[in-house]
Amino acid sequence: MFKKILIANRGEIAVRVAQACHELGIATVGVFSTVDTGSKHLRFMDDSVWIGDSPPQTSYLNITRIVDVAKSTGADAIHPGYGFLAENAEFARACEDAGITFIGPGSNALSLVGDKIASRNTVKKVNVPIIPGMEGSSADIDDFRSMAETIGYPVIVKASLGGGGKGMRIIRSDAELADCVAAGQREAQSAFGDSTVYLEKYIEKPRHIEFQVLRDHHGNVVHLCERECSIQRRHQKIVEETPSPVLDAQLRHEMGEAAKKVITAAAYTNAGTVEFLLDHQRNFYFLEVNARVQVEHPITEMVTGVDIVRQQIKIADGCRIVFSQGDVQQNGHAMESRIYAEDPHQQFMPSPGRILYLNEPQGPGIRVDSGVYDGWNVPPHYDPILSKLIAWAEDREHCIARMVQALEQYTILGIRTNIDFLSRIITATAFRKGDYHTHFIDDHEQRLMPKFKHQRVALVGAALISLTGKRGQLSSKSAASPQTTPWQEVGRWELSGD
Amino acid sequence: MEYRFNHLDRDYAIVIEKHDDGYMAIIDGKQYRIDEFRQYSNLLVFRLDGILHHIRYARHKETIHIAAAGEHYSFDSVKDQKTSRGTAVEKSDSVSSPMPGLVVKIPVEIGDHVIAGQTLAIVEAMKMQNELPAPRDGVVKRICFHEGEQVDALQVIVDLEETES
Repeated sequence: MFKKILIANRGEIAVRVAQACHELGIATVGVFSTVDTGSKHLRFMDDSVWIGDSPPQTSYLNITRIVDVAKSTGADAIHPGYGFLAENAEFARACEDAGITFIGPGSNALSLVGDKIASRNTVKKVNVPIIPGMEGSSADIDDFRSMAETIGYPVIVKASLGGGGKGMRIIRSDAELADCVAAGQREAQSAFGDSTVYLEKYIEKPRHIEFQVLRDHHGNVVHLCERECSIQRRHQKIVEETPSPVLDAQLRHEMGEAAKKVITAAAYTNAGTVEFLLDHQRNFYFLEVNARVQVEHPITEMVTGVDIVRQQIKIADGCRIVFSQGDVQQNGHAMESRIYAEDPHQQFMPSPGRILYLNEPQGPGIRVDSGVYDGWNVPPHYDPILSKLIAWAEDREHCIARMVQALEQYTILGIRTNIDFLSRIITATAFRKGDYHTHFIDDHEQRLMPKFKHQRVALVGAALISLTGKRGQLSSKSAASPQTTPWQEVGRWELSGD
Repeated sequence: MEYRFNHLDRDYAIVIEKHDDGYMAIIDGKQYRIDEFRQYSNLLVFRLDGILHHIRYARHKETIHIAAAGEHYSFDSVKDQKTSRGTAVEKSDSVSSPMPGLVVKIPVEIGDHVIAGQTLAIVEAMKMQNELPAPRDGVVKRICFHEGEQVDALQVIVDLEETES
């Protein structure tokens, strides 16, 4: 087994990976940019090394520097997490060349499936259905235009090297085409360091269903069933659940086998996710392979009991998968809410800044994978994800009830977050019924707007805080100690004269 | 004692009076009893007309952040009523970044005639590019940032000529 793993990431996923390493008795090396000097993930590392200035290009995307740090610290493997270099074949190759194990698929499989255009061609060969679109990218806008005319609007432009909705634009008419392609290229360049984009047919109101697959170096392949990720804003998932409310055993089996075929055809090893769109007629189409651990992997862990990050490390080390497809069972129901530093009332505008107060929920079936702490200054340079709230229960209804309660407990003050927005999604009637698709948020915009039902209470609270002022803050310290009764504290406060 | 707050561009006024056995809140002329008021670190507990509430809070400068029953509020103390209107007027003559970020593109030059809604600047934060539109038709008077520079929240990036009317 590996002795030391460098974790080339930050935030909650770096914490998650470090924990998996320590459970296996493996030492960890963390890396950080200037602005991340006090980042939470470093508290989980045995050693940590500065890798560059704050912008991702000079730090978490800096291949040469990261590989050098791995060599100088004696790491024998690198876990890339998700985002940043996780699906970068050049990085995987640099690791291989340096004699360091890249925990993920090999660079060849990564080039193949990480490139959406190449992966579509592979998938076609094994007769898994795909969405019509471009076979390759082009620098010529007229190629985009003629493909759009052939397959018909609406179409969608996607980053070839991407994921997570970055670089994606829906185009509904010829007039929007040039601007949208250019915007997609800019975003792709900035997010993935590669501006290649391509075009495909846009399927209206589909459901997004993906299958988690594991494949080892000995040809063993299993899927860990589906995750439904149809609740998205700006093409980015924010609520995921498993099992999907719409899959039955037959469709689950068909899609799971298709996912395994794709992974095997690509000679892909390690953990990977095969994403599908499901249309109204329950036809499924291959979307892409996510060649990394997914943000939403915990819900699969909760219902299958398989630790996916642990499996990633063991598979990379050459271990066999010790269970078979027949052993995989879905036990109960799990759901994840992604907590983002963004303002749902202002088009999900990013909201970096200092966290003044943090209260993470706890309770039966509740798991929080968090990359932040009370007092942390959330930097503007990276993805706005702060943490993930995962709920598990024996059935969907109970799982929703746990999620609702946990979201209500979850308090982050000082920056804007999507926590109350998530609550309104989970409590919406259509969501409760399982009746939703990828346009749910747009379609229910009114229902999801803030209600501010407790405005009077909040206002009274603000006034009481102003009233007690600094003296209130001073005595609140002693109020926390059990020796003082709260009533003694109240007695000390008086209205100030002015 | 009267307190004035601004929450999401709306002003709110509330009066708190001390009584022998507690406090009274007056909002829009209506009175509400406050009993059993306790304050802990980041937590307030009180009864409002008999109903028990637990509120989480944090203060920063002139802002009080509140979480009440899963809802989040940011109340800015209002010292002078003119302040909020003053900002609104300024806004229509310039484009400022709503958040800290990186100026990735300024697709206009000084002297350009622009129309309302036209993109004057693109600011990137947390990997998301935000196109900042012109608030009205006009002529670009001043560009305060270069592409590639870091901008803070609410800093003006592009100024438009003042309107003639």
